[in-house]
Amino acid sequence: MQQYYLERTLQAVITVVSVMTLAFFLLRLMPGNPADAYRAELIQNNPQLSQADIDHRVEQKLNVLPDAPLHEQYINYVAGLLQGDLGESINEGVPVSEIISEALPWTIFTMSLALLLSFAIGISFGAIMAYKEGSYFDNGLSVLSIFCNSIPNYIVGILSIWFLGYQLELFPTGGRYSTEMEPTVGLLEPIQTLAFLGDALWHASLLILSYTVVAAGGWALRMRGNSIQVLGEEYLRVARLRGLSERRIATRYVGRNAVLPLYTALLIAIGFALGGSVILEQVFTYPGVGYYMIEGLEARDYPLMMGVFLVMTVAVVLGVYIADLTYGLIDPRAQTRGGDHR
Amino acid sequence: MSRHADAAPTAKTQTRSDAILTCRDLSVEFTMDRGTSTVLNGLDIDIERNEIIGIVGESGSGKSMFASALLDAVVEPGVTTGTITYRPAEGREIDVLDRSDDQLQQLRWEDISMVFQGALSSFNPTLKLRGHFVETLEAHGYDVESGMERTHELLSDLYLDPGRVLGSYPHELSGGMKQRALIALSLVLEPDVLVMDEPTAALDLLMQRSIISLLSALREKYDLTMVFITHDLPLVTKLADRIGVLYAFELAEVSGTEELLRSPRHPYTRALLNSTPDIESPLAEMQPIEGSAPDPVDVPPGCPYHERCPLATADCAAVKPAMEAASETHDVACHYWERVPDEIDLTTEVSR
Repeated sequence: MQQYYLERTLQAVITVVSVMTLAFFLLRLMPGNPADAYRAELIQNNPQLSQADIDHRVEQKLNVLPDAPLHEQYINYVAGLLQGDLGESINEGVPVSEIISEALPWTIFTMSLALLLSFAIGISFGAIMAYKEGSYFDNGLSVLSIFCNSIPNYIVGILSIWFLGYQLELFPTGGRYSTEMEPTVGLLEPIQTLAFLGDALWHASLLILSYTVVAAGGWALRMRGNSIQVLGEEYLRVARLRGLSERRIATRYVGRNAVLPLYTALLIAIGFALGGSVILEQVFTYPGVGYYMIEGLEARDYPLMMGVFLVMTVAVVLGVYIADLTYGLIDPRAQTRGGDHR
Repeated sequence: MSRHADAAPTAKTQTRSDAILTCRDLSVEFTMDRGTSTVLNGLDIDIERNEIIGIVGESGSGKSMFASALLDAVVEPGVTTGTITYRPAEGREIDVLDRSDDQLQQLRWEDISMVFQGALSSFNPTLKLRGHFVETLEAHGYDVESGMERTHELLSDLYLDPGRVLGSYPHELSGGMKQRALIALSLVLEPDVLVMDEPTAALDLLMQRSIISLLSALREKYDLTMVFITHDLPLVTKLADRIGVLYAFELAEVSGTEELLRSPRHPYTRALLNSTPDIESPLAEMQPIEGSAPDPVDVPPGCPYHERCPLATADCAAVKPAMEAASETHDVACHYWERVPDEIDLTTEVSR
């Protein structure tokens, strides 16, 4: 069993390092270059600066030696990373870690809600569809689920902004919270806190809706397939003959055995969600982690892009890692390696 | 043989003294696109209290349907017709096929229980064995504590370590252990009748033998009536008091085991016995039954076996033979049952 944990941990670390490395070099293969842009900007604004001064400032800004060969830049970046330094955003002029730690809670807030909602809706409908397999209800919802799951969520986002935001003016079309709202979260000021959370939720609702509509379709289809398979199992027939209540069969038999295979998918989805929904956050001008990805991309802001990339990679790898390590706890059959299960 | 020559054939199986289950005209039909599929056709049989009756038939002879029908548990969209009368030791007769869902739920497992073909997949993979026993007791309103005591005893009777088995998930047990645990689970509510559908199909020969001997012991201890359904005629002769041979969804012959082995009256039974493979003889000496069993949608008129029978005449193709009593404990559905022993030799000896 220890062998297994060790392997998994090593695998996770190697994955993160490889993705980080690949991203580092690929980003620099993109046309355009922030160092040149920044250097030009510096020369234009401060004609008296020496070449060495300029190089020094550029290096400070980018956390890499701009003129050094790529592999040296890489080593420098990794060295900084190991000390917890993600570099400084070129565009914003603040440390990348600051931007991310400020944006991450908003992404977690919206995405966890969206994920929970879509998962809950998806598996409930999926299970009901399986129970009513072949009925109009099942056929209709299957088509609807496939339809929802096939539309990119930003299309749903754009449509909902246009319709619910601009036409009906029911929801704000962007931002985290209203400008006149004072961000308050504290036990001592419950009314203000509630008002603030409500306002934040109101601002996030279209984003959450867009994600949920699409993701719920996918969960529903998967749950439906799994449940139909379980419903055809011999042990289900035996359970019915043993006189177990339908309620017990639905939860302990169908539900549990059909949801189990979704556990890994859910944890991976959590990982992806933590990286933010890049395009969706852009559509709603919602400054979460994904929003800064596009911003960094537009400015060729290497450190910012790398920082966001790292968050996404680590989140997904961590999701898979946790899924691997904990699956044995929820599914007894997975404890085959090592064998110490009692 | 001549002693029965002038005996008037009885149209129906004789109703015996103490039948716990009486099936009359028991049929199961499925309506399909290409026609109605009759997978059990007008069975008449009495199952006596505390006997072990073996029901033997080849694949697709309707034997699993018979098992399901005894619990009125034929899967949708199958339709079961006829009557099954259950006579508990005390209390009134029960018409099994005429019960509400609640009454059925009570009858199943409490009075008539079942061990399934797929023992290996009969347990919920994410529930420990203990959970299976507890939920069954709870669903029927039995006292869990005394029920679990009984479970421990049952498992011990089946040579299992109760503590270990109950604390295990199904995948942690071997096939033989799972099979025995399933038998214990089917007996936990103290039923009168245990229906077993190919309970040994997935097991090796040694495990089959040991389960057979365990079943005999269980019958004695718990006063059980057992219906043992199998394709394996030599196996069931080691256990059963009586044997019914199913062919093409109908009973061909029902007889005491000794008598069936000594002097089978139906050509099919004889062919079945002759086709019993012997591990020691070469493959070339095997005597398979020529032809194949009829399609349930299109059973030939007359005797269902006439297309494969060496004794068949025009009469056989036209008139379906009724069950006749060859002796007090021996019923056979063949026009020529009196001639059969002289015409078809028994070449393979099957002993109990």
